[in-house]
Amino acid sequence: MSNEQKAGVLQGTLDLMILQTLATLGPLHGYAIGARIEQVSSGAIQLNMGTLYPGLLRLEQRGFVRAQWGRTETNRRARYYSVTAAGRRQLETEKTEWARMTAIMQAMLEGAE
Amino acid sequence: MRYRLREWWRRFEGTFRSGDDSETEEELRFHLEMAEQDALRRGEDPRHARLREGGIAQAAEAVRDRRSIGWLADFVRDGRHGARLLRRSPVFSLAAIVSLALAIGANTAIFTLMDAVILRMMPVHEPGRLVQFGRDLSYPLFRHFRHELRCFTDMFAHTSMGRPDVVIDDEPEPAAVEFVSGNYYSVLGVSAFAGQTFDPAIDRNPAAVAVISHAYWKRRFGLDPAVIGRSFRWNDRAFRIIGIASPEFHGVVPGKTPEITLPVSIAGEVLDSPAWLTSDSRRWLQVMGRLGDGHTVETAQAEVAAVYAGVVEAEARNTGGNEFQKQRVLAQRMPLEASGNGFDFLRFRFAGPLRLLMGVVAMILLIACANLANLLLGRAASRRREIAVRLALGAGRGRVLRQMLAEGMLLSAAAGVLGVLLAWWLAGTLITTMSNGGDRIALNSRPDLRVLAFAVFITMTACLLFSLAPALQAARQGIQPALAEARSGARWRWGRALIAAQVAISVVLVIGAGLFGRTLLRLYSIETGFERDNVTLISVKAGHALRDPILESLRSMPGVTSASFEMSPLGFKGWEASALVEGYTYGPNEDEQVHISFIAEDYFRTLRTPVLSGREFTKWDTAASPKVVVVNEAFARRFFQGRSPLGKSVRFKGETGRYEIAGLAKDIRSRSLVGSIPATVYINAAQASSPPTGVFMVRGTGIAPLVNPALKRVDTRLQAADVRTLEENLSRSILNERLLGALSGLFGALALILVSVGVYGVMAFQVARRQKEIGVRMALGARPAQVVAMVLAETAVPVGAGVAAGVAGALALTGLAEKMLHGLSPADPATFAGASLLLMLVAALAAYAPSRRAARLSPVETLRCE
Repeated sequence: MSNEQKAGVLQGTLDLMILQTLATLGPLHGYAIGARIEQVSSGAIQLNMGTLYPGLLRLEQRGFVRAQWGRTETNRRARYYSVTAAGRRQLETEKTEWARMTAIMQAMLEGAE
Repeated sequence: MRYRLREWWRRFEGTFRSGDDSETEEELRFHLEMAEQDALRRGEDPRHARLREGGIAQAAEAVRDRRSIGWLADFVRDGRHGARLLRRSPVFSLAAIVSLALAIGANTAIFTLMDAVILRMMPVHEPGRLVQFGRDLSYPLFRHFRHELRCFTDMFAHTSMGRPDVVIDDEPEPAAVEFVSGNYYSVLGVSAFAGQTFDPAIDRNPAAVAVISHAYWKRRFGLDPAVIGRSFRWNDRAFRIIGIASPEFHGVVPGKTPEITLPVSIAGEVLDSPAWLTSDSRRWLQVMGRLGDGHTVETAQAEVAAVYAGVVEAEARNTGGNEFQKQRVLAQRMPLEASGNGFDFLRFRFAGPLRLLMGVVAMILLIACANLANLLLGRAASRRREIAVRLALGAGRGRVLRQMLAEGMLLSAAAGVLGVLLAWWLAGTLITTMSNGGDRIALNSRPDLRVLAFAVFITMTACLLFSLAPALQAARQGIQPALAEARSGARWRWGRALIAAQVAISVVLVIGAGLFGRTLLRLYSIETGFERDNVTLISVKAGHALRDPILESLRSMPGVTSASFEMSPLGFKGWEASALVEGYTYGPNEDEQVHISFIAEDYFRTLRTPVLSGREFTKWDTAASPKVVVVNEAFARRFFQGRSPLGKSVRFKGETGRYEIAGLAKDIRSRSLVGSIPATVYINAAQASSPPTGVFMVRGTGIAPLVNPALKRVDTRLQAADVRTLEENLSRSILNERLLGALSGLFGALALILVSVGVYGVMAFQVARRQKEIGVRMALGARPAQVVAMVLAETAVPVGAGVAAGVAGALALTGLAEKMLHGLSPADPATFAGASLLLMLVAALAAYAPSRRAARLSPVETLRCE
């Protein structure tokens, strides 16, 4: 995937991916979120800092995640993100919407064959 | 969508905070370290990780963009930067802010008055649907219209009784009294603040009740809630207060708030004559109607005209044989006017001068803007290096432009705030001056939302006008930095154009001030036909029978040389009547009206007006002796073509008595200094058929403190309602002229100050730019006087062009004010020449300081500083 195409996919789904990651794994710092998404997508989605951190800030401004400074296992200072109650509600809504969309797309594409 | 709002709010907050950057960078550094460690662990080159993640600076920028609202953040930064710059040059900033504040203040003040007098709607229900009758109606006519007309949902009438003494708790005190029809408050949609307003049925069942205004309640009763149900006396009748009108309501005449309203249906009893309600000839009511659905002023006008035509025809049948009178009656029209802003005596009186002043202050604003553009241009030139650096560092032209605009914005915002405060004070002062005309004017000088909107509007306009030019120039620069020298030549062209424009506008303003000033001087020195010094006018409310005793008592005061009486309230325009003069036949279309004045004996002696032939009234002329009159020169010229009028007789239409002309007096201007002198018949007050009240006049010095004791000697209840000198009375008659004279003088002076600041600024810059050249000249032997002459000569070109343009402009404009000049030519050569000279002198003085500085330069130093 080229960067351009990636950006297009990410636009709508980055929020969903981050929220899902945090809801599953609990509080994580930014790097761990990016690594987890890369891992789950088997390396198909690689977020660089210029995409990841503005996205996190946006979620924070919307009240879906909360950020706090904490310590890593190696005692480094790092900012940890966790999902808020509003974030969980948003995640559920988006998930349902996403499932509905994929079901529709699935039906469309199979029906067209 | 609530989270969207929240996001914007957080970004808005983020715009004004700048502390989060270091945290973001720490977070990003941590991210990169982790990425590198991971790469090492996987056995990759850590530089790949760096490449993949991108730079910290770029990511931090992306986060910053997200944190704030971009353009707003720029704006705040520009503002902070601008404020720093302004603080760094306080003299410049202060000069700029003060001159703009003066201009904005003047504009806002005049607009406040315009707004109050002309534009503001009454605070009543749907004021836009109210229509006023252009002429006063009698009570029967009002009822006739009300019965016949279908275009109005309803009509109401009101009329002012002036400020008679009203007795509350045995204390007489003047109050503004109005008679109103019973539906006055209900048609206007004005509710009671406390108690109740009139029941419309009161028109059929008269009752001695009153509704007072909120302002009067506050002034006279100190907001005492127990006032409802209290009584006061007026004209020996008791009235019960039944309600207080809503505080927003100020009556239907701008500047004239009725303090006490009484039902008109009781006027017959209170005014001692039922004729006020029954006679068709007593046209004393002002009438307004509220348009019904589907009606406009035009359709209403058509209906009113139709109904009025019937009325007029009936009246014409009663004029007898005189064709002129008949045509006059038939020619009567009843104009209607939309009147959402109230009856317009103030508009009539002050609208012309206010429009004129509005034009004047707009010109002041232009001058101030030109000045500021000039000053900012100078700054832009001196900041060329700074701007070049910013452009080189990659700032967009747009950013530089916006930054210059932000500075202008700050200046005009500060000036705007100051200006509004100034306007508040100035408008208040002006209203006090206007009220000096004897009428109490209760205009609101507090700038309301509309005035504020106006101030904001002119401030923004000013800001755009004066910061656009320098900003554009600054942003254009850098395209060809090598042409710096040529551009400062362009700046000099700009500077010259600005000087010329400012001088031109100032010439117009100074000429205007000169014309109004001269008009005023002429009015003060006009031939009045009497000696205006040392005459005191005293108005007393006293019965007819007390007149002679009061005169006796006044004459016995020390210092009094003579005293007389005139039956005319102060400020009253006088009576007119159709006169039939012995030996004179009117042409078919000639006006029969002459002016009538009721006077007592010694009138002309008190005024020191010569009686040219015959005699004036003496105390031997009584009600019982033969009826005699005195006429003025205008009367003699009109009816006797210069032959002696003595011994001829005069009769008045509608009266049986015949008067013999016993004296001819010189024409006098006792009421007003402007306008022509009408043909006048003076009738002896003692022989008048229906004697009205009037004013006593006393010649002598030190009168005022003795008046009340003298009156008390006649009757202990007597008290002077008003004591003023004849001089004061006359200057009230030229209130508009004084107002225009004073204000145009003030604004003319302001224009001169602003223009000298402008000329000084441009020339100082010009001298600084040519330092080197001047240094060379002086090294080659030019004397300081020659340098001064050179700089002055350079100023002369734009100033000369400006004066020429200003004179041409003034010639075109002053004609508009011709009516307010009372005979002075709008192209008065002396005024034009004087104003032009004054401007040249001021410009020369303003250019002299920089030229002196140039002449003092040491040639060696100027050459070395390159």
